[in-house]
Amino acid sequence: MAASSTDTSLERNDFTPSISGARPTTSGINFQLSTMPPRPEVTYNWINITSEFFHATKDLQLGELLHDDIFGLFEAMSAIEMMDPKMDAGMMCNRGKKVLNFDQAVKAGALKLNNLTMEELVGIMDSMLACLVTWLEGHSAAQTILTCLYLHKPLSIEDRALRAFSIQTLKLIAIINNIVHSAGVFEEEDFQPALYGYGVCSEVSEVRAGGMMREVEEELQRAVKATRNRQGEPWDPKMQKQHEDAVALFSRIRFMRLFYAALAAIMRREQVSIPEAERCLVSCNELVCIMQNTIGRGLRPKQPKDEEGNKVDYPVIMGFEPLVNQRLLPPTFPRYTRLRTRKEAMNYLEEMVGRLRHITKITHCTTFHTALEFIEHFSESRPCVLSRSLAQVLYLGGDKLWGGQGMAEALREAARSFICPPALLPKAPAKDYVDSFFNRCVRPFEQLIQTCGHNRARQRDKVAHLLEEFAMLQDEADKVDAYLHNVLLKSDQPRPHLAYLGTWVLYHTLRLMIKYLLTGFTLELYAVHEYHYVYWYLYEFVYVWLVSALSRADAMLLEQDGYDTNKGGKSGRSSKNKNRNKKKHRPYGKEITYNQALQHLCGGYYKAMLGLREAGKVKLPLQEFDSEQVRYEHRFLPFSVVMTPPPVHYDQFLSMTDLSNFPQPVSPATLYHDARNHFFKARSLLETIHAHNTEVQQLLKVVKTNFVVMKLLEGGHKADDPTRPQFDFTTHPCFPIIKI
Amino acid sequence: MKLEKWLHSSMKIEMTDGRTLVGSFVCTDRDNNIILGSCTEHLRPDEDGREEEPRVLGLAMIPGRHIVSICIDEASQPPQPPTSMYT
Repeated sequence: MAASSTDTSLERNDFTPSISGARPTTSGINFQLSTMPPRPEVTYNWINITSEFFHATKDLQLGELLHDDIFGLFEAMSAIEMMDPKMDAGMMCNRGKKVLNFDQAVKAGALKLNNLTMEELVGIMDSMLACLVTWLEGHSAAQTILTCLYLHKPLSIEDRALRAFSIQTLKLIAIINNIVHSAGVFEEEDFQPALYGYGVCSEVSEVRAGGMMREVEEELQRAVKATRNRQGEPWDPKMQKQHEDAVALFSRIRFMRLFYAALAAIMRREQVSIPEAERCLVSCNELVCIMQNTIGRGLRPKQPKDEEGNKVDYPVIMGFEPLVNQRLLPPTFPRYTRLRTRKEAMNYLEEMVGRLRHITKITHCTTFHTALEFIEHFSESRPCVLSRSLAQVLYLGGDKLWGGQGMAEALREAARSFICPPALLPKAPAKDYVDSFFNRCVRPFEQLIQTCGHNRARQRDKVAHLLEEFAMLQDEADKVDAYLHNVLLKSDQPRPHLAYLGTWVLYHTLRLMIKYLLTGFTLELYAVHEYHYVYWYLYEFVYVWLVSALSRADAMLLEQDGYDTNKGGKSGRSSKNKNRNKKKHRPYGKEITYNQALQHLCGGYYKAMLGLREAGKVKLPLQEFDSEQVRYEHRFLPFSVVMTPPPVHYDQFLSMTDLSNFPQPVSPATLYHDARNHFFKARSLLETIHAHNTEVQQLLKVVKTNFVVMKLLEGGHKADDPTRPQFDFTTHPCFPIIKI
Repeated sequence: MKLEKWLHSSMKIEMTDGRTLVGSFVCTDRDNNIILGSCTEHLRPDEDGREEEPRVLGLAMIPGRHIVSICIDEASQPPQPPTSMYT
């Protein structure tokens, strides 16, 4: 953060006086900073000039600033304003009651280390979980989890349950930090790793921490059993309460231990550790339900009294001091962090357990393409930073991908299964050349996976950078193809090698372009008057290129099949059987149909938008403040580095979409008619896709509705109504239902 | 003029809430609003006489109405104005 870097530069500045250890108000005393390495001592000789100063400023004019040449109004504006509740973080600490740290609180008797009631224990643990969840949602640890005083000195706690729980919490913080760091798919808005110098109890090993938890757990389990209702006897109410308290505490201790164990198991990335993690997570899921039902057993904070004057907007219980770290924060920092409630925290944990269970399934992805698709789909559900990071670590972490394959090897297989380049067949010549190409691919494709791990808003930026990488890779692929073509033609079994690797890279480039344009809709970046050229670009170029790349791959795979079959027994029995099965249908038939449908869908929107514009139903920006060209160029800027497909310039757009090019004069009705036809085609294509997944269902609903709307518009429905159409993105985030 | 003479000197300002700010005096106006560069914040020591570490604030503006007292460091000559920015 900018603020903290400024601070360090200030400390190096010998201009800064260093004072500590003594009252600054006493004059003539040598001050020195106790914790910092030797610094020049500063001696002050303070002279009080208060009244003299106040008198002197009276000579200044209203609005006149006294300053030197290099300090101006601009600098003055960037000063933080003291005593302003929004800017001055230090101000809050001086209001109302004194802020106590761990030792002070123990001394003052405000912090119990032993003999805590069940109510207190459950309440403290639930509050800790609420803080933890708030931290995971991207808030600073100093304002969330580290406001719990028990976590500052867990070894001083005498109560065994609370001590074990506190240490385990610190271990959990450490492992979460580790996971998020090693995945590297977080931004400052997702996660704040800083722990402000607090330790994570490294004196206690992870194994010992788990052991402590287990001991407490067993003890509680005995208590749970001992207080059970015996058959045929009435349940003593006291016994019943003890039983329920023990169950509540037991579930929290056990949840914490198993949740940590699950994360640790996933991080080991071994074949056996994933089922282990899954077992832990299944138990966690059951435990969260018990925790949710027993929130009421925990101590609740008293409602704050107004006269206390402590300007914290949430009440706290014993063990929590919201302002304890306030002075550790940089001068400009969000003043308040609204903590999650216990109920919200429990629901969050429940959902997170579900997400973690889902991401362990990435271990079933055996190819690069399936893993990429998995992570892309997972990203659409807008997952939390921890689950996003774990998915990355699990698949990409270390030197090898999950399953022990290197990235270059995985990509080679991906390219082979995509289009089966002859150069990747056994005994193909120029092996070194091909190897070095796939080594070159490693970095961009790793970035591709990582990009999908970032939060949705950042992905768009990252895609723009990735397009540069892929443009260079495309160039390389074309060169390799050309070289291999020459080599293979001269070999014993002459075969052409045209645009195999190139098509594979192109496929990924095109998917990135589509992702870039469509995320503009999900992030609500486009104005309605921009829709027509975004959809036009997708309809006229990107989807057309994608369909042609897929068709080419399709043809190449079939050709390879034919080649294998002609070769007869040489290719071996097993592959022959496989090929025979494949031949029944085109390998990319479904994907081609799907993309053709999307192409027509975009065509439909393009024509519909043109029609609505012609009919004056789209609000246009004021001409003198707007340049469509600037907007257009900005929207497609990242595409300018890509050579294949070549970027389409604004004047091309104008000449291609000029309505005067049409043979007959164009009315809105004819445009609506065209749009209707496009929607109709999209619908019939989508209906041929047999495996109806939810996305296809959503798209079908969109095209059917839009078809009817276009028909109405064509028939002149509401032609005189000046109200503008609405675009409803609730059914599909990129393809709206047009409402008139 | 006195005010100009004080520019870039170390200045200590006590505020109405008891905190003390130390920094170099860079700007003021008719309402006694003062801007200190490279400013640090010092808390009033607690009953045992212990004092917490000062907190680095950087460039800070103290509204005139919150100023209790102003002290200037007379012993040291005003240092040369730094060539860099103030923050």
